[in-house]
Amino acid sequence: MHWQAAISTLWQSPYLGLLLTLLSFQLGLFLYRRTGSQPWLHPVLVSVASLCAIILWSDLSYSRYMDSAQFLSQLLGPAIVALAVPLYENFKLLKRYWLAFVLSNVLAGAFTIVLAVAIVYLGQGSEVSVNTMWTKSITTAIAIELAPGLGGVAALAAALVMFTGIFGSLIAPSLFKLFNINHPAAQGTALGVCAHAVGTARALEMGSVQGAFAALSMSFMGLLCALLLPFLV
Amino acid sequence: MLKGIIILLAFFLGGEFIAQLFAWPIPGSVIGMLLLFVFLLLRGSLPKSLKHSSDSLLPFLPLFIVPASVGIVNHLYLLQQDGWLLAVAMVVSLVLGIPLCGWLMQKILKSHGKGRAK
Repeated sequence: MHWQAAISTLWQSPYLGLLLTLLSFQLGLFLYRRTGSQPWLHPVLVSVASLCAIILWSDLSYSRYMDSAQFLSQLLGPAIVALAVPLYENFKLLKRYWLAFVLSNVLAGAFTIVLAVAIVYLGQGSEVSVNTMWTKSITTAIAIELAPGLGGVAALAAALVMFTGIFGSLIAPSLFKLFNINHPAAQGTALGVCAHAVGTARALEMGSVQGAFAALSMSFMGLLCALLLPFLV
Repeated sequence: MLKGIIILLAFFLGGEFIAQLFAWPIPGSVIGMLLLFVFLLLRGSLPKSLKHSSDSLLPFLPLFIVPASVGIVNHLYLLQQDGWLLAVAMVVSLVLGIPLCGWLMQKILKSHGKGRAK
């Protein structure tokens, strides 16, 4: 029997990265559901953390991993285009609320982005960190595509958005209580602007109106930032 | 299903084409999303195949961002260098941003509603 040859074939296989990604994501989904959707056990976080650990502690390099997992990354573009569908479906909800929705997205969005960038800039963070911070209020998929063009790093953008998403989802309910924010549409919008996809999942747990508005403002902020930031920054 | 995938890919490539044509620094996928949205608004209805494809694709969006996110292993020095600063910036902007956004929206909704009731 040729154990060594067989194992090495497996380890060198171009499908290894794909399999590891799917496996770790499935593990993440399992943990997430088992723990009642804890934001800090988000499947993406579990999956990324375990893949990072494998890459750091084995001789599987990131470039070899990426060659194999490339297929998943390539689906990102068409999937972003597909975001137009839920946007269209939820769009009629805006009829009564559109002015409040647009104003609070633009004003609060600009406020959080500029504030975060200013803190990193004044704290003398590196240029890459400052540039990447501009993407903090964009849903991860779009942030990844936008960051390199702004002089930032896609992976750092993903990490930042993930962090805001998780932390935002954790603290949002107490902030709503503290500041007496009880309008479902307002809660949803705040979660969408500040906590993106993780926040949208959280908003859906609060109610369908919250979920729809979170999804709307996530898409709206993503679109707005992607269209404006490349010309402003 | 297949028709829906064709629509998505066509709008994606159309977006990439436009971005290149005008040398816009905007991701082609975002232009494609905007074009598809406008197309749906003009059409006034959602093709079944497109609905089906997007419903099957979107739940996996989180999975599609994993490979690029793992790239952080090549930039760990950034986290070592600026990690705390980035975390502080995000926590501060969240703690102020979430209430501001919710409060603003609620405020506008209430004053708008009152204006209408008169």
